[in-house]
Amino acid sequence: MEINKNVEDDGVIFMSIKDKDQAECVKNTKENNGGDVTILAIESSCDETAAAVVRNGREVLSNIISSQIALHTIYGGVVPEIASRKHVEKMNGCIRAALSEAGLTLDDIDAVAVTYGPGLVGALLVGVSAAKAIAFAKNKPLIGVHHIEGHISANFIESKELEPPFVCLVVSGGHSHLVVVKDYGEYEIIGQTRDDAAGEAFDKVARAIGLGYPGGPKIDKAAREGNPDAFTFPQAKIGDAEYDFSFSGLKSSVLNYINQAKMQGQELDQCDVAASFQKAVVEVLASHAIKACKEYGYDKLAIAGGVASNTALRELLEKECKKNKISFFRPSPVLCTDNAAMIGAAAYFEYQKGVRFGLDMNAVPNLPLGDRERRYHANKN
Amino acid sequence: MRILAIDTSGLVGAVAIADGDIILAQFSIQYKTTHSEILMPMLDDMCRKVHLDLSTIDAIAVAKGPGSFTGLRIGAATAKGLALALDKPIIPVPTVDGIAYNLYGNEKVICPMMDARRNQVYTGLYTFVPKMPEGKSMERSFDMQIIHGQYAASLDDIIGEINSLGKAVILLGDGVPVYHDVLEKNLKVPYSIAPIHQNRQSAASVAALAAKMAGEGQLVSADEFAPDYLRMSQAEREAKEGSGEKKNAPGKSELKSPGIIRVRPMTAEDIDDAAALEKLNLGKEAWSRKQLLDAMTRDDTIYLVAEKAGRIVGLCGVQNISGDGEITNVSVAGDCRKEGVGYKMVKQLLERGHGLGIENYTLEVRGANAPAIRLYEKLGFKSEGVRPGFYEEPKDDAVIYWKRN
Repeated sequence: MEINKNVEDDGVIFMSIKDKDQAECVKNTKENNGGDVTILAIESSCDETAAAVVRNGREVLSNIISSQIALHTIYGGVVPEIASRKHVEKMNGCIRAALSEAGLTLDDIDAVAVTYGPGLVGALLVGVSAAKAIAFAKNKPLIGVHHIEGHISANFIESKELEPPFVCLVVSGGHSHLVVVKDYGEYEIIGQTRDDAAGEAFDKVARAIGLGYPGGPKIDKAAREGNPDAFTFPQAKIGDAEYDFSFSGLKSSVLNYINQAKMQGQELDQCDVAASFQKAVVEVLASHAIKACKEYGYDKLAIAGGVASNTALRELLEKECKKNKISFFRPSPVLCTDNAAMIGAAAYFEYQKGVRFGLDMNAVPNLPLGDRERRYHANKN
Repeated sequence: MRILAIDTSGLVGAVAIADGDIILAQFSIQYKTTHSEILMPMLDDMCRKVHLDLSTIDAIAVAKGPGSFTGLRIGAATAKGLALALDKPIIPVPTVDGIAYNLYGNEKVICPMMDARRNQVYTGLYTFVPKMPEGKSMERSFDMQIIHGQYAASLDDIIGEINSLGKAVILLGDGVPVYHDVLEKNLKVPYSIAPIHQNRQSAASVAALAAKMAGEGQLVSADEFAPDYLRMSQAEREAKEGSGEKKNAPGKSELKSPGIIRVRPMTAEDIDDAAALEKLNLGKEAWSRKQLLDAMTRDDTIYLVAEKAGRIVGLCGVQNISGDGEITNVSVAGDCRKEGVGYKMVKQLLERGHGLGIENYTLEVRGANAPAIRLYEKLGFKSEGVRPGFYEEPKDDAVIYWKRN
């Protein structure tokens, strides 16, 4: 995996991600068009503007990400209005770069896909409006993709051999879900968070111990220097739903500890707090995921979402999966962040099922995962 | 020249195609449906009805702003997507100029007003000046003269400007009904209101003005176009205000007028007074000068002081922990309680906190501090738990309050 980075004048980081297979894929693009489905995918649900070209759901021909993270750091989190404004500025550049790196024009594309939820509504609307305009102007089919189904589908890019059914643990800034992927595009949620998402807890704790935003990577790094057994923070169990998560209690307990230490003038060891907190989160996530595989009888476990790039979580799951004879699948970190390649992967399987969206597609900020109402799937045929 | 025009800057969603001397088609809707759902189907329908081959379009015109931030972005992202796919340039038309162009040929002063909330309008002042032809022809054409280019103004500002021109004015736009009473009371010149068919954003006007702009070479590439919001985002605005100490310095008249309580951001110059107030109220638990200074200068906090007759009589502060605002300090001078200082101060703190991205607020208060508890409940906080024996000297429980949105 090779990442070309370029910091632009406004602080936005423009990235082109290439893996070793990509050059080969692009080379074969023109000759190999019989029956292939090539999708232009767009993603703008939070603070990353992204575009990618993906063939047959698994081959990434280009993957462009324009990351605004530096602009939001000073505000301690993503400011929706600033994110939305930047999306408008960056969108065309990302799409153009994605097409040119794939060696294609819009005429070579079979469909346009876009994230239509969940996410920040103002941010989503930029991608949705752009995708609709392009699909209309070029008379191409339009496919709306669920952001988290995109994250899950990043595994299809990373592991070409992975096929449903499998269990997927989805953990990100906005989501903590345990999902059974029954078939391509068919999801059953068996567990989810009752309060904060795992990534949200990471952000808040990082803020409180002075590590700053974004919390996930910063805690991950600090935890490597700390003692995970320095403190015991509670791991909430939800009585009536064994696969559900709760991170709010854990977060409060860490914040209380910090406040008390402050009041008593104690020196706070950031790294120990980070390591102990991370251990508590990661253990709950892993134990639920392994239990789900065993009880539902699946021998494949995948992870997805921003928190899936957390080192401790990966290590623990790898160990536990080995012990329980479960095959473990994980996207490389760059595919765990928000990107459009994963949206192109998810869109391919929707495309194959005949899903087509109408031009009245809207952004749906709280779009549910899986078995959602299909009213947005106005079939053109 | 063929121009496809889009305006989604306000409540009206509109598209039009100008083809040389005629408007080939125009669709306009002002209804509760969102632009996102309506714009593309409307455009699709319009293009089908006139059998438009999209590749024959020469340029895409769009109302570039000001207007609703989200509306502008839907229009801009759509225009940019179309322009990218069709490989055409964009003509960015100033929204207020576009509205004024509805009244082409009118020699009165024309003042569009778009409601920008909080007694503000996006507005401008225009008139049409006849060009006298050479020879004997009776035909007249007009130039739109911009007296004051589009800007964000307080209602007082624009009313003052209209009055100072001293000429009859025609008002139009969605700000007029909103502020009609204020306008009626304060305008000193004869005014009229444009009829409904000319009163709002019109894609046909955008197209007509765009054709003129295109003739003057005012085209941009699809990639470089971005809306002109005329306003920073709230977060940027507040970040800027927070660093501009001079701007927040009190005026002399306020310093001298006794009894008036003024709430403003804390500055480094207030630290000594603020620390003294803390010490007086909280004794051992008070924050030190250094703690206050550290907290105040962080970028995830807001610290306010209340000032009365040049003296610091209150302070409060909040820290944003990923959307949860922890109210760290609230202190009011003993002789100024029951004057609403706390209420005024904390209320402003909550309002400003939203700009920092805070959604929910939390604080802890001594169980025995009845006046403070009354204040928080009045501000919408609800008790969600107790930390027994949290405070020392005297020993007391901490009651945890939350205000959730």
